[in-house]
Order: sequence, then C-alpha cells, then structure tokens
Amino acid sequence: MRRCHVASSRHSITTRVNGAERTVEVDARELLTDVLRHRLALTGTHVGCEHGACGACTVVLDGKLVRACLIFAVQADGADIVTIEAFGSSASNLHPVQAAFWEKHGLQCGFCTPGMVLTAMKLLEESPTPTEEEIRAALSGNICRCTGYVFIVEAVKAAAERMVSEGTTP
Amino acid sequence: MTDTVSAVVQPKLFGARVKRREDPRFLTGKARYVDDIVRPGMLHAAFVRSSYGHADIVAVRADDAERAPGVHLVLTGAQASERALPIICDSTLDGWQSTQYPALAASRVLFAGQGVALVVADDRYLAEDAAELVDVEYSPRPVLSSVEKAIAPDAVPLHEGWIDNLFIKRHFRGGDVDAAFAAAHGTLELDLISHRHSGIPLETRGCIADWDPAEELLTLWTASQTPHLVRTGLADVLGLPESRIRVVAPDVGGGFGIKGHLFPEEIALCLASMQLERPVKWIEDRVEHMLACVHAREHYHRIEVAYEEDGRVTALRALVRVDCGAYSVYPWTATMDTGMVLGILPGPYRIENYECRAYSVATNKCPHGPYRGVGRPAGCFSIERAMDEVAHALGMDPFEVRRRNLVRADEFPYTSVTGLVYDSGSFLEALELVLEDGGYTEMRELQEQARREGRLLGVGFACYTEQTAHTTTEFIKRGVPIIFGYDSAIVRMDPSGDVSVQVSSHSHGQGHETTFAQIVADELGIPMESIRVSFGDTASTPYGHGTFASRSAVLAGGACVLAASRVREKLFRFAAELLEANPDDLDVGEGKVYVKGSPQFNHAVSDLARWTYHRPEKLPAGMESVLEAVASYDADPGGGTFANAAHLCLVEVDPETGGVKLLRYHVVEDCGEMINPLIVEGQVHGGVAQGIGGALLEEFVYDEEGQLLSTTFLDYLLPGTTDIPHIGVSHIDTPSPFTLKGIKGMGEGGAIAPGPALASAVADALSPIGHAFVNELPLTAERVRRFVAEAKRDGSRSQTAGS
Amino acid sequence: MKPAPFEYVKARSVDECVDILERRGAEAKILSGGQSLVPLMNLRLARPEVLVDVNGLGELAYVRRDGGVLEVGALTRHCELAEGAAVQQSCPLVSSAASRIGYPAIRNRGTLGGSLAHADPAGELPCACVALGAEVAVRGPDAERRVPAGDFFVSHFTTSLVASEMVVAVRFPVIGPGQGWAFEEFARKTGDFALVAVGALVALGGTTVEGASIAVSGLGGRPIRLPAAASALLGETWSDELMVATGAAVTAEVAALVDEPAEGFRPHVAGVLAARALRDACTRATDEEVPRGK
Repeated sequence: MRRCHVASSRHSITTRVNGAERTVEVDARELLTDVLRHRLALTGTHVGCEHGACGACTVVLDGKLVRACLIFAVQADGADIVTIEAFGSSASNLHPVQAAFWEKHGLQCGFCTPGMVLTAMKLLEESPTPTEEEIRAALSGNICRCTGYVFIVEAVKAAAERMVSEGTTP
Repeated sequence: MTDTVSAVVQPKLFGARVKRREDPRFLTGKARYVDDIVRPGMLHAAFVRSSYGHADIVAVRADDAERAPGVHLVLTGAQASERALPIICDSTLDGWQSTQYPALAASRVLFAGQGVALVVADDRYLAEDAAELVDVEYSPRPVLSSVEKAIAPDAVPLHEGWIDNLFIKRHFRGGDVDAAFAAAHGTLELDLISHRHSGIPLETRGCIADWDPAEELLTLWTASQTPHLVRTGLADVLGLPESRIRVVAPDVGGGFGIKGHLFPEEIALCLASMQLERPVKWIEDRVEHMLACVHAREHYHRIEVAYEEDGRVTALRALVRVDCGAYSVYPWTATMDTGMVLGILPGPYRIENYECRAYSVATNKCPHGPYRGVGRPAGCFSIERAMDEVAHALGMDPFEVRRRNLVRADEFPYTSVTGLVYDSGSFLEALELVLEDGGYTEMRELQEQARREGRLLGVGFACYTEQTAHTTTEFIKRGVPIIFGYDSAIVRMDPSGDVSVQVSSHSHGQGHETTFAQIVADELGIPMESIRVSFGDTASTPYGHGTFASRSAVLAGGACVLAASRVREKLFRFAAELLEANPDDLDVGEGKVYVKGSPQFNHAVSDLARWTYHRPEKLPAGMESVLEAVASYDADPGGGTFANAAHLCLVEVDPETGGVKLLRYHVVEDCGEMINPLIVEGQVHGGVAQGIGGALLEEFVYDEEGQLLSTTFLDYLLPGTTDIPHIGVSHIDTPSPFTLKGIKGMGEGGAIAPGPALASAVADALSPIGHAFVNELPLTAERVRRFVAEAKRDGSRSQTAGS
Repeated sequence: MKPAPFEYVKARSVDECVDILERRGAEAKILSGGQSLVPLMNLRLARPEVLVDVNGLGELAYVRRDGGVLEVGALTRHCELAEGAAVQQSCPLVSSAASRIGYPAIRNRGTLGGSLAHADPAGELPCACVALGAEVAVRGPDAERRVPAGDFFVSHFTTSLVASEMVVAVRFPVIGPGQGWAFEEFARKTGDFALVAVGALVALGGTTVEGASIAVSGLGGRPIRLPAAASALLGETWSDELMVATGAAVTAEVAALVDEPAEGFRPHVAGVLAARALRDACTRATDEEVPRGK
C-alpha cells in the first residue's frame, strides 16, 4: 500500500503546437503524450512503453526530436512542438516522406509510423543524402514490430532522392 | 461453384504490387486505435495485480481506495465471480485437465501480475493512485517457477482436481521406431531449449466497455484480432446472448496472435461498465503487458535421431515439454504448441518412423498462447539442428543431408508420418535457390577472408514447411472447442455500382483493405477505388474467426471471391436479360458487363446497379432488388495447404565477448500464388525480424519465486534497425491444388526459421575452434561464450585424438 | 504507468535550486534531461515530492576551455558532448562515450550533470569521468566543492552528493600530444545499456608507455579505476602481447575488487575490452593527426 502524500501542482501552460498557440491547464505530473493525445485531441502521437525505449511517442520539441512520454507537459510551456498532424492530412497532400513510406510499403499496423516518419524527416533535414548505415543509425531508437525495417529504409532513401531532385527541404 | 470460379482467367490486379489503400490514415496520424476513441462520460480503469507468483488471497480491503479522489468503483475478484463465469477453454482430447481463469482472482493468484482488483476513476492517473491503496493480504504458497519444478515427482498440482501439473499429455507413434533405431548406422540424443518470449506488439492491449442499459446492449471496443470470438466468449462468461453484445476491433497496432484471445481484463471492464452504466476504458501499460498478456514459445525438446551412413534420417523420437503457464487460454486451449510440434516436428523431410510425447505443463507463470509460428519455430529449431548434427557426425555437408531427406517435387501430395498432407511445395528448390540468390558462395569467400584476418564469420541456413489456412479437419484433430473452419464475407453493391465488402477477418497490418479489394475488383470487373473493405465490427461483419494462423488470404479472401462471384452472377442474369444473351456468354471488365467476343454489346455495371435498386421494373422476372451476397469458405480438404521457405544468413561471432552480429539474410519463400507481392514481402520481413529477435535478444526471465524480471524494454530487448540487416526475399510459386486461386497462407512463416539459421551460423563460425552444439535460444553473449568453451574443448579433444 | 503526484518548480537560478534542495531535502529531485528519472517516475520507482526543473538554467549549459581543462556545464546535452566540436577535439573519450548513450532522441535531452547524479552503474559518462580523472563541481548551500570522479560515484545509483547539493559542472583534462584514448563497451544491442564498459587513456613517449589510466564499469555498482593494471604498463614498450596481458590483468584485478570469479562473464569481457581499448589508445597516441572523438 502506498499513499500519495502530496497533490500535484497545477499549471497553466501555453505551447505552440503545429503552429497554433494552445493554452491548457495541466497537473504537473501529466505527461506530454497524454496532454497531446487527450487534451489537445492530437492522437497521432502514440504510446508504446512510457519509458522512452520504443520511439512511438517521438515528437519535435524546439526543433529537436524528443520522447514525449519522458516530458511533463508543464515543461513544454513556451515551447514549440511539432507532431505528425503538422504534415499531410490526406492522400492528396502528403509530405514526400509520408508519400515514400506509402509507395514503399514502409508501414503495416501503423503504430510506429508517426514517430518513424518524424525521425526520418529530421534526418533528411540534417543529412539530405544519408547512407543506409546513417539511416539505420538515425532510426535505431524507433521500434517497429511489423516491417523488419527493410521497406522503411527504402522509403527513407526514396524520400531523400525525391527531395534532393525536387530541391525541397523537409 | 469452384469450377465456375477457377475458370476465370487470371486477372490483372491479382498479383500486382499495389500500394495499400489504408495507408493515408496511418501516415497522417488519423488512424483510430482503441486509445484514440473517446466515449461521452468515459471513465478510466487500472488493475491491482498480484505481486506473488502463487498465493492465497486472504483479504482484499478496498475502503481506502474507494474513498480516494476521483474513484467510482473498486471491483474485487469475489464480486466479479458472482457476475461472470471464469474463462474455461477445454480441449476435447483425452486426458485434458481443465482450468478456470477468472476475470479477477478471488481466492488465489497463480502468476505474478494476475489481476486481483479493478479500480475505475476519472482518469488513469487517479486510478493508479487508488490502486496503490487497495490492500491485498496474501498468504504465499510454494511457487512452481519452472517445468522442472512442476513435473518433479513430489510436485503439488496447481489446480484443484488435477492429478499432476499437465494440461495434457500427447503421444504419437508412427512406423516402427524401435526397429529403425536398432538398425541405424548411428543415433544422436539432443536437448534443445527455446526460451520464453512473445509477440510484443507496439500497441499494448486495451478496451472500452460501454453498457447501454436502455438498449441492454454491451459494446466493447477492443484491440483484438478475433472480434467474433471475443463476442462469443463474453456471451459465455457474462451470460448475455451474443445478440446483446457488439465487439468492435478498430485499428489495431500489431497482434501476432497475442491479441487473438478473450482476456480476463475485457471481462472485468464489461462488469465495471455494467455496474456503473458508463463507458470505462482500460489501456494496458507496457509493464502489465509483459506481466499478464500472453507469453509464448517456451519449449524444452529432447530429440533422438536415427540415421544411416548416407545421411538419411530414418527415425525420430521426441520428448517435448511446453511451459504453458497457469491457465488455458481462450479460444486456443493450452494444447496449441504441443499439438503443433507433435504434428510438424519431422518437418519437410521423409521420416517414416516417428514417436513423440508432448506435454503441456502448468506453472506459476503468465498463460502461454500462440504467437506467430506457434510451435513451428521450436519444432524447426529441433529438426534443423538435428540435421546439422547428423551432418557433423557423418562428416557430410549439411546441404547434402537435406537433399537426402527433403520430400521432392515428384512426391507431392505427400502424406507425412503424422498424417499431414503436404499438398505441394518446393522444399529442395527453395533451398537451392536461397544458396544462389542469397550469395552462398560469396558468403564463404567472406568467411575465408575473415578467417585470415582472425575474425569468425559463419554461414547458416534452415528450411521448413508450414501448415497454413488449415480449417475444419485440422482443428477437429487438435481438439479445440470451437472449430475455426472458415471465414466469411459479405459483398454488397450499392446503387452507384460501388461495393462494400465486410469480412470476418481482421487486418492489423496485413493490408486486407487492399488485397481483398484487389480480388473483388477482379471478380466484378470494377476499379479497386470503388470497393471499400471493412472488418472488426461484429454488428456489421459476418461471423467468422478473425486473423491468425496464416489463413486470411485463403479463407477470407476465398469468401470474398465466392460472395463476389454470386453478385457477379446476379449482374450477369440481369445483363443477359437486357442484352438478350446467355449469361454464360458474358464477361466483366473495366466497369462493364459485356458479351464475350462482342464487347460493343455491354452495360455499365453502375447502370445495372442503379436499375436494380431504382428501376426494378427492368429486372428479369423473379430477380430480387438485391446485389448482395454472403459466403463462407472452408478450403478443402481442411488439412490446410503447405507453404515452405528456406533461409540463409551470415553472422560474425566475437568469441571473446560472445557477441553475435547478423550481417546478411536471405529468404526464398513459396506461398503459391500471391495476391500482392509487396504485402507478402512485408510479412516475410516482419516475421524474420521477430524470429531474429527471438534468436538473439528476446527472453522473459522469471526468478525462483515466479517474479518476472523482464518487465520493461530496458530488460526485454526488441530488435531495431541496427540489429536487423537488409532481408532479401525471392519467390517461388507452387500453387496449392486445393485453394481458390492457388493461394497458400504465409504470414507466420518468416518467424519460423531464423532461430535454427542463426544457431547454425554461430556453430559454423566457431568451427575453426571446434564443434559446439548450439542448442539454446536466444543466443545471448553468455550462452555463446559457453558454446565457445564447448568448441574449445572439442577442438583440443580432436587435436589430442589426432596426434 | 503514470507517475505519482508531485509539485513542480522551474528554477530560475542555481541558487534557487540549491535553496529548494536544502529546504526539501530527500523529497526533492532535480529534473534535467529526464531520460533516466522520468522512466523511474512513470514506473513509480522514484516518487519525488518536489521536482525542480533546471532546464531553464542557461548558465549551466556551456563548454569552456580553461588551459589544460575543459569545463562542461551540467546542463550540456549528450548530443553536444557527442557531436560538438569542442568536446570532440579536447576530450574525444567523452564524445565517444556520449555517442553510445541510447538513441538520438535520448541524447537530445539527456545531460551530463543528470547522468552523473543518476550514477547508473551501466552508465557511459561515469566510466569516462573516472577513466579521465575528471573533477565534478558540486554546489551546495554554503559552498562549491570539487570532487574527484573516483570519489563521486559511491555505489549503484548513489553518489557522494548530499541532498542539498547539485552538480554544476565537470572539469575534464584536455587530451595532449602523445596521448591516446579509447572507449569500448559491450551491450546486447545498439543503444542499450552497456553490460561492461572500459575507458582507457595512455600517454606514450615514442613506443614507451609513460602514463595510463583504465576504468571499468558494469561491475561492482560504480566505475572502478584499475591502478594496478595501469601502473604495470608504465615503462613498457607497447605491443599487442602487452595489451593482451594487460587485459588478463584487468580481469584479475576487477574480479578481485568486486569479489567475483575471474572466469565470470563480466570480468572476462572487461579484460577483453580493456585489451582492445588500450590497443586503440596506443594507436591513437602515435597518430599525428588531431584526435577526433567517435
């Protein structure tokens, strides 16, 4: 038996999420994953482990890839967050990385996909023509249980080629 | 019926690498998994779970928890037992001993992590706070933390009324095993262990139970592969008719067999919702998943092999024990792994004398159930390692030993000693092709070069055949209480000529929204874009069994073909009337029904559809305004159809640390005709990756007290992008003579051979040092160090013997 | 797995942080990267009642060369240690160690101070600090003190910090000419915790070993310096045989120090990694190029 002696402090936070200012009242202990998913209805960020090991909850915070399950929402006050919902919303307006995953069958059940896609986008932003080794190293923290990664790696290569040839930035 | 269908010329979408229809929602974060679903007034649940491996429950004091902030209900095992029966899943086979798996433990817990109480609160945070306040008093009992302890002569049976700790004892005997052993040139006795691990989908389990008291309707959204079976099971335990239960399996983040069960947690959530008359959601956390979902693949095999001087294996004896944990799982029973190994252990080989005793052992561990491949990975591990050891004993090339023993093309259909009918296959061809396509010669060159540099590379391979899409006769043989003999489809055309297909299977990564649209498009001659495939909701889909056992393309796909062909028949009947033609002279394609040879005589399918519903006066006499059909399909002969594959790999072993690095992997697979090769390859890759995980990294470790030590991803490691190399895949297609379109199942196959392929590669890598019998998975560094030591001892023995 | 409730305070200065630590003592914990602490909190294995967020303390995020010392602020992220030019050039052993930590997203948040204060026995940075003989700068309510790394790590997840203290910086010796370094670890898979890790430093005069330092982590709960094995190298001419012999000496010394059999997996692997690390370190020491961390 274990009693909780303190109450969680409450905070009002304002974050920029996918370009829009959002203000939310949160308990100190509310994880960023829960606030994104259940308070802001952005359910594209998934929860696979809640201890930072699987990568399903990957988002971009102040320009860097982070595990949203290891960040308390209160820490995101004043921060800039990008989730999968910032990108293409349907078959007709997909980001090149999303489109490449589609072409190359880089997803099956889809649960790891948002985190995987964001990580790939970040990689291509920093390294537009990565080698296979670099791709695998960059994605090493994103677990997929379905694909065996083969088509994911091909998707990232294809996205890189397309983006370089089109001169687009991620 | 079958004749009509098979007369259709092989159409163009079948076999095409079509990208998946369903992907946009997954790519954009718009998929709806169970935790994405919100119901008005929804509450949240957390379980209180046993911290003991085996204990009596003396008392459960819930007062403090009930008074905690935001709490609506604390449900105890005693209360649950008054309102729901336990899960009982009994085999029909002789000697079966039954278990009762309660929604919540009331008087006794039988594994660490078993649910003891359920707390429902405003949110999951508050529910967990309150769960910590539930005071459970346990009186610990001796823990049977292993098969050894459970089968020891003085072991106390875990379950009431049991005479020992065996769910079941299976025994098979075929041919004359004793004579074959007596006459053999040589015999070997081998022990092999495959340690406990499981499917570990990235999405944990979860469900929302919503009891509507006005409608007296219970709805359960649940991350399941088998929604109808969950509904049937719930009906049994809750005493509600199936017509009052609706199960909806939404998008599911991976299953691999693990989510194909009725779980006690689902029952507890239903009880809570029925009591509170509000929706209640439970999302399993990762620790709960590791503790209490379903474990798999824990096998201990003792194999005796009798062989001739030319490498033929003439007889096999096996003693198989599977650690099945505490309860029999629904709907499979605790016989799945043992029964399967019993039947398939001889593998793709011509072994005519075989005896197997297989035991499902009860222990104080999480219940054990079917996971991608089920008993086949352990069975393949045993027979393949045995073949390699025969080769070593005879000083023969292991490929040569395979060639002597594999069933050949001219022997199909081949009835195995256990009565399995290998209908068709490419056992030898796949092996030969994997050496070629996988670059065997180059691998040997790399190995040579590495040896000169003082590094150890190893080449390994393994092959198998697997029963897929098995239905009625097979499941009767297996003694499961529900015979998963078919799957079903409804094909319905609307007035615009668009089609909706509802299937009883459940796609959680397999791409059914695409593959079934491909085949229905071909049957009805309309574009894929006008077909929408759906599944998962028992209110709208026909009864069937869900997706598991590598069956959906054959069975649900076959049902789609049948149902679509019935709709096509109606279109032909209508068109024939309008065109004054014979229905047999009609064909369909590009959205039109036309006269064969005179395509200018046609009607658009969309017109026929609109007229059927809006201009019924145009219909032939007696034809109803219905363009809809339902069909269920059981692929004859019920014993399934056998797919096969061969795997080849290259590893590097660091003998000083025991580290194993997988460098290359190639698969040649034969699953007959393929609806969509892209999806087939994806399934192979995924299966291989899980097989590699089980061969190198994944293991559930219990201590002597039945405490699970691997409860997070920090202990239980999953393979990532730097652990799985590129996996090459080549295809052979040997169609099944039995199934519609010649399709065989293949979803599980990739997971079957990596264990023996990697083990044989590690043994090969160590061969310059000496011979080690690599017989235990996963190949952790400590175990590999042990094999290195064994190889060294063998090496120095050989040196001494030689000098 | 949701954490137990706590009060959250965002510290606006190091003084404020130390003040809270002093007042709330064992109930308070610093939140820096959170990559080790938050999993423990989600699992309810750690239940601080006050969490002091130091991520706003810009004054703790720096890398400063101070003669023969590289001073790195506690809030410096692992990715900066692994990829930042200053650390790679001055303390390549630290870069190499940091590059093995977890995965990119983990390295974006995890901090030097957090890793050291957490003192995971499998941690790469503690091992690197001990191998280098780094100094940990600790601020308390009354004073700032410098603790040699070898004294800083006491046992599993236990440092010599008292409840009212926090790590503010680490001072690393800058690598000089004739010096070589190496960091080797054995993990079950990429990014996983090291089962055994070795940090090694050598100083060569020609082919003669003039200085050596070896630290091993993964045994005994904290990084262990191996003075005997290191001093046995002094004055020797370096060779492959010498490295192998030193590996065996490392195995023996570490096994004795943690009271485990030398044939055990970890002592054996420690020796194997030490031999390899020393070989690499000597190769780098004789390299005329500027040492790069990786």
